[in-house]
Amino acid sequence: MRSIVGEIVSNSESVTVMDMEASIEHMSRGTVRYADVLLVVLEPYYRSMETAGRTAPLARALGIKRIYGIANKLRGASDAEAVEAYCRNHELELIARIPFDENVTEADRIGRAVIDYDARSPIVKELSRTAGFLLRGAPASGNGTGGN
Amino acid sequence: MKIAISGKGGSGKTTISATLTRLIGRRGFPVLAIDGDPNPNLIQALGLGSGIVAEAVPPNVVAREDQNGATRHVLTTSIADIISQYGLKAPDNVTVLVGTKVDHAGAG
Repeated sequence: MRSIVGEIVSNSESVTVMDMEASIEHMSRGTVRYADVLLVVLEPYYRSMETAGRTAPLARALGIKRIYGIANKLRGASDAEAVEAYCRNHELELIARIPFDENVTEADRIGRAVIDYDARSPIVKELSRTAGFLLRGAPASGNGTGGN
Repeated sequence: MKIAISGKGGSGKTTISATLTRLIGRRGFPVLAIDGDPNPNLIQALGLGSGIVAEAVPPNVVAREDQNGATRHVLTTSIADIISQYGLKAPDNVTVLVGTKVDHAGAG
């Protein structure tokens, strides 16, 4: 059964970005079926990675062709390594490694978008590479350790 | 290209969705952002400020049609009309819709 969001998405000619429910298990199957790309956000702790690890096979079963992980709030090399290892072992391709970024908290505290608060913040720089990758299929990513 | 973004609560999913949406729009692509989260925060994260409340797209934009024993869902109004009535303009070529009310109506 199709969902209404899915109907809107499938009829739209623009690029669409759907900010979905926390877990694909709760998502309307009809909506997700219209996605060409599923981005799964994961943090470097076990429960978050496990949730992402369950999401990828479900998404594949729904026929979504491009499924990628986005690692967020990475503090240092051991966080990055933990996420990399987990994703390798669960066939989830990581396309972004976002360091823990204080700008997100600061922007949120004053009710602004982080891209407006500081367009040069680490999260914005990393996601800019991600946007480029998604739009043209070029490989891109930083190393998630907070460098400029 | 149709992108869905999922993640646990608190993972930064909405910040990432909003930032990625603005960045795609900044590259010149018109972007339709749909907030499907039961706690809709995407509008604020996109930079429209915390005072703005968008009217969620109502379930009656889709009707069920029974054809040969099968049920189809069809839009009762055009995408353009849905967007003009319920969509909010955000910076960088972004239009945002709150899809919470409609997504669950068709779940199955």
